[in-house]
Amino acid sequence: MKTAARSVAVAGAVALFAASCGEAPEDEGSDSATGSAATGCMVSDEGGINDKSFNETSYKGLQQAEEEGIISEVSFAESQSEADYEPNVREMVQQDCSIIVTVGFALAAATEQAANANPDEKFAIVDYQYKDANSEVYEIDNVKPLVFNTHEAAFLAGYAAAAYTKTGKVGTWGGAKFPTVTIFMDGFYDGVQYHNQQKGTNVQVLGWDKESQEGQFVGDFENTGLAKQISDNLISQGADVLHPVAGPLAANAATAAQQAGDVAVIWADSDGFESAPEFKDVILTSVLKGMDNAVKAAVEETVNGNFSNEPYVGTLENGGVGLAPFHEFEDEISQETKDEIDQIREQIISGDLVVESPAAF
Amino acid sequence: MSQTVQAAPDESRQTVVRPGWKTPIVLVVFALVAFVFFGLLGDSGRTSTFRVSTSADAWQIEPLALSSRPVALALSALCLAIAVYAIALVRRGQQVPLSLTVMFGVAFVLAFLVWAVAGEQISLTSLLQGALALSVPLVFGAMSGLLCERSGVINIAIEGQLLAGAFLSAVVASLTGSVVAGLVAAVVAGLLVAFVLATFAIKYIVNQIIVGVVLNVLVLGVTNFFYSQLLAPESATWNSPDTLSRVRIPLLSEIPVLGPVMFNQTVIVYIMYITVIGIQVSLFRSRWGLRVRSVGEHPEAADTLGIDVNRTRFRNVLLGGMVAGFGGAFFTLGNVGSFSQDMSAGQGFIALAAMIFGRWNPIGALGAALLFGFANNLQSVLGIIGTPIPGEFMLMLPYVLTIFAVAGLVGRVRAPAADGRPYVKS
Repeated sequence: MKTAARSVAVAGAVALFAASCGEAPEDEGSDSATGSAATGCMVSDEGGINDKSFNETSYKGLQQAEEEGIISEVSFAESQSEADYEPNVREMVQQDCSIIVTVGFALAAATEQAANANPDEKFAIVDYQYKDANSEVYEIDNVKPLVFNTHEAAFLAGYAAAAYTKTGKVGTWGGAKFPTVTIFMDGFYDGVQYHNQQKGTNVQVLGWDKESQEGQFVGDFENTGLAKQISDNLISQGADVLHPVAGPLAANAATAAQQAGDVAVIWADSDGFESAPEFKDVILTSVLKGMDNAVKAAVEETVNGNFSNEPYVGTLENGGVGLAPFHEFEDEISQETKDEIDQIREQIISGDLVVESPAAF
Repeated sequence: MSQTVQAAPDESRQTVVRPGWKTPIVLVVFALVAFVFFGLLGDSGRTSTFRVSTSADAWQIEPLALSSRPVALALSALCLAIAVYAIALVRRGQQVPLSLTVMFGVAFVLAFLVWAVAGEQISLTSLLQGALALSVPLVFGAMSGLLCERSGVINIAIEGQLLAGAFLSAVVASLTGSVVAGLVAAVVAGLLVAFVLATFAIKYIVNQIIVGVVLNVLVLGVTNFFYSQLLAPESATWNSPDTLSRVRIPLLSEIPVLGPVMFNQTVIVYIMYITVIGIQVSLFRSRWGLRVRSVGEHPEAADTLGIDVNRTRFRNVLLGGMVAGFGGAFFTLGNVGSFSQDMSAGQGFIALAAMIFGRWNPIGALGAALLFGFANNLQSVLGIIGTPIPGEFMLMLPYVLTIFAVAGLVGRVRAPAADGRPYVKS
């Protein structure tokens, strides 16, 4: 009796565990699809494909490819924890994928392992470029890195924040201390410093110090309470512009801003005005990271038989990164500032103004 | 089935308790650290400014500007004095009273604060407000664990109960447009998770730890599924609850510093105060409490006296689930509003630690949870103003404080004797 109950419980647990970890392919008979029989596959990082941020934006690239008929089917697996990376990638390898897109540098090891074990399978990894122990970049034949020099765009956002602030203090914080997070904070920091230098202002950046590479981090991308608290603390110390770089947690900074009043938020990854419309009254602008376009382009290349492992680096120049419109804050940013931002953009593209970050590609 | 529960060790036989040297030694070490690092090595000529009033307060109090080095020296000298007194007490064969150790802890933390804030200013009120906000889920979680474990059932599923409460409260509050309905739904969610735990752990005698872990994974999976299928695509309908507004209690909220921190809060926090006091009183002062404790310590004896052991346990597990579920509503309705995936972020486990750290005692667990919250927020606030300490050390702060508190304050920890052992009538 006891054993029976126990085995039922274990079987139930296993079934639930399996259900919670992996999304089963929607349709086993994929050969029934007409036209392009290609499948685009994706493995998300923690945070899931509805994170209103980098997983979601990458996934959008796949969806667009499907809508445009480049691929006929989309398949994805969400990772709930680090333990899911490897099984999720393996599951995708077992499916008939034309290309497997892994999102986030946390999946680097799992992707590399799967790529080496399956040399015929094509991979693209968002936000990571493989480096060896001596920080030398190396390439894997069947993995295309999709990386972004977001600090260039964040520099513009920092400049805008410094021009906008009334308290003379702006704040930034990150989810976890990943290079793909700190690259935003570096650019933001330097943009503020550039404004100080050009305009003789003395705007302070709270929550990040580029020199020491130390700042405010939640430690993960889930703890909403701490994310909200860090935002409240920054506001309490006088910041009236917040730039959270934390995927789904960014919403908590926007909530804190709405509650405080007179505080604006600079969104990261996608245009928050569109992806998080409930916060549009506090979104000053957004630092755009065109992961959707990069993913779509990589899928298209692969399906057309032009896969290359050459890294794609999104910059201001190729439109891979950018600054979103000011939307509701259009009137609060002076034309002078907007012209200056355009000018800085040109200078960065032409190389007259060099923006640096230890996390740059 | 043979009898699996052994007789609990008889505590009453240990009549002579010898005062240990551990507490005074710990105090001396920490006092010296404070004196040397915060006092002697502190920068002279700087001031540490603490803002006391918020702009909304009735009585505005001038910010407290303290000259950093002398104040830190004075506070650490007080620490030293307490440590010396503790040595004297132990030499005379007396115990170091808890109040003295608490006083030491407060003086030590203040000395540290004055040193760390040198040349800067912080708001004392918002520091404490944030600490409380970070502690609330931990307190509810710890109370849930305590209700279960005092009756002899280990509740690892606190994490899942918090998450389920957060999820259902957000969904119901969005659909009905009523936060009260959301709060009720949170309790129901916790109750449902607890019901599964109780059924498997008590009725079917499945290993309690395994059931708890499985339940956590189950709740995470179910909430993630609904989140990606319903809450995220149609967030306006499913995931946009109102948040609870703060209720200011007249008079009490006018007390400087503590008033706005404690008495300008949401209903959830007021219910938290009532819950902790209620559990403390009824656990140690009521017939119900005596029965619960007897079932957790010595189920055979309780059974002999006619107490239905398994029914008592079942009820307590359900009660614990309701408390944790309600606490889960703080994540959503009490704080940020909308639900997001895995938003409990492991705090159910920290709550469990707080319960053990608080010696399975409601007030102790409350203190432990508040300490975790305070250390966590202090780390953030000091990180923003920039401290002389490297960031990596600041991240260790909650744990350093915990070690100090465990070593100096808590002493020997003993779980209920029948904790985790199912009761089967022989």
